[in-house]
Amino acid sequence: MTYSSSISIGRRRFATRHQNAVSMAEQARTIGPVSNSIVLVILTCLLGLLYLTQVTKTNSSGYKIDQLKKEYSQLQRDHDELELTAARLQSMDRVAKSNAAKELASVAPTATVR
Amino acid sequence: MFYGLLILIFAVFIVRLFYVQVIKHEDYKQAALSGQLKQYSIPAERGIIEAYSGNSVVPIVLNEEVYTLFADPVYVADKKAVAEQLSKITGDKAKDYLAKMSKDTRYAVLAKKLDNKKKTAIEKLKFKGVGLRTESIRAYPQGDLAAQLLGFVNDGGQGTYGIEQFMDSQLAGTPGELKAITDIRGVPLVASKDNVLKDPVNGQKIRLTIEIGMQKKVEELLKEHLPTVNSKSGSAIVLDPNNGAIKAIANYPSYNPSRYFDVKDAALFTNPAVSSPLEVGSIMKTLTVATGLNSGAIKVNQTFYDPAQFTVDGYTIHDVAEDGGAQTRSISDILKFSLNSGATWIMMQLGGGQINEKARKLDYDYLTNHYFFGQKTGVEQGYEAPGVVPDPSEGFGLNIKYANMAFGQGLTVTPLQMAAAFAATINGGTYYQPHLVDDGKGAASKIKKQNIISPKISAQLRSLHENSVNTHYTSLIHPGYKIGGKTGTAQIAGSNGKYRTDVFNGTFIGYIGGDKPAYVIMIRINEPHVSYFAGAAAAAPLFKKISDMLIDNFSIPRAD
Repeated sequence: MTYSSSISIGRRRFATRHQNAVSMAEQARTIGPVSNSIVLVILTCLLGLLYLTQVTKTNSSGYKIDQLKKEYSQLQRDHDELELTAARLQSMDRVAKSNAAKELASVAPTATVR
Repeated sequence: MFYGLLILIFAVFIVRLFYVQVIKHEDYKQAALSGQLKQYSIPAERGIIEAYSGNSVVPIVLNEEVYTLFADPVYVADKKAVAEQLSKITGDKAKDYLAKMSKDTRYAVLAKKLDNKKKTAIEKLKFKGVGLRTESIRAYPQGDLAAQLLGFVNDGGQGTYGIEQFMDSQLAGTPGELKAITDIRGVPLVASKDNVLKDPVNGQKIRLTIEIGMQKKVEELLKEHLPTVNSKSGSAIVLDPNNGAIKAIANYPSYNPSRYFDVKDAALFTNPAVSSPLEVGSIMKTLTVATGLNSGAIKVNQTFYDPAQFTVDGYTIHDVAEDGGAQTRSISDILKFSLNSGATWIMMQLGGGQINEKARKLDYDYLTNHYFFGQKTGVEQGYEAPGVVPDPSEGFGLNIKYANMAFGQGLTVTPLQMAAAFAATINGGTYYQPHLVDDGKGAASKIKKQNIISPKISAQLRSLHENSVNTHYTSLIHPGYKIGGKTGTAQIAGSNGKYRTDVFNGTFIGYIGGDKPAYVIMIRINEPHVSYFAGAAAAAPLFKKISDMLIDNFSIPRAD
């Protein structure tokens, strides 16, 4: 450290030591009870609105789900009905009485020796 | 004064609100929910029933939605016009509808079991006060095929008789539940935390071992055959002796399961092949011989002097005149000529030369622990009967009773019990539980008991049975195939406790196959009126028809 720099430091220390000791820091801003209440009411309303929006949306989805379930049930019923119709069309009695069956010729079984 | 009045009014409001919102809170909540909260039971779909058709599987019992047409006459403005319009669609008479709607009721059922086409047409009319209720019923695409085997579902939704009864819990499934707050149309509001949704569990699909083509042909053959032997009823079973699978059970008379409510005689609902035990007659000799051989009491090549009659407990057991009287006989002769004296002789050999407690107990052990008589087989059928095997130690006239049992009188078994036991004696000695449901687990899972007789004795029995056909029941021969069997002409106990002399039941048990038996066939013809023995004249010809049909249509391997 040089002489001049040590003098400079000493001056800065002096200056700090002899400045006004009273703090002049800015005071924190606060809101009053009325404002607080208004904010709370607004927040509550917003939350309520959000809740109602979601409930409405969910219920709206419920209708869609209900509609899809009905469509699924109808398709299932149609499938069952078609399955039954197919089974009836393929029944042995119907096949035996069909025109195609009537045109069949009876032949002796080839695998049987009588 | 003014302020006082204001405070009083406010106080009244506050007290009232407190009463309504706090004290009566629960009451009003329930009242609100009663209108909004809906509770539904979601019906489970009943499982369908399938069966084999060659290599494929086809449904033979399905579900069908039908509709009940009803009206609330209070809301029907022009009853006559409505009745006329509806009757045009349903095909019923308008005056009947009008009469139903004119009665003092809020629920008049106009028509039942309407199909979807009619339902749609009625809905398009949009009549006020007219509604349609959905109902699920069983549908039978194969008509009345295997009706008694299948059973039906009654109006209460319960499986009744046959497979529907036995497998009811598996077929029915479990209903679901929906408990929800709904809108005015009944649509659930999903946001409600109180909602309960439990999906129904549909009933299981059941696959039968039945081959529908075979079932159809056996039913037809039985129905055609009965009038030719002047019989009104009978049964036929085709069983696979190598795994216990029942391929066909036919009974006549039968009924249409989709019109079960038209049946006047409830006895028609049962499956006689499993629920109606009988004294089977001489086909029991097949098992008596098996018992004698397997127990070591007799040898297959043994001969013995047959006096043609034995006296037991003061009663005389004798053969029929055609059997030729007293002479030396072989074991083969007992089956071939159906010798009652021969069967009695075997019973005597079980006791060391006479029918005694030792013989009775040994025979009883074979009947109940080897052939599983006197107990249900466990086949998947409602109302299966166990049959009766008399106790070997308690009662009177036990020796004559057991002598009679040797040729199939005095004990009762169902045709299915007989078929299953006989199958075990000719398949190498394994008793497979006879079954109608194919659970896909294979033959090994159906083994009830192995070595009920030894494989060696089983082979000897096959040889004896085939010898009977080849030398005695020659009409049953089908070249290229091994066929064995035995007739039975069973006496029928009358209401007075004595055997009737005017009628008999005809039975036949046998098998067909190549080098190993492919099918066991059991025939029962009730009280045929024929000029010869019922077993030979009434039952054996049906065995022949069925065995020919099987050989011609079901690819049975030929004998080498």
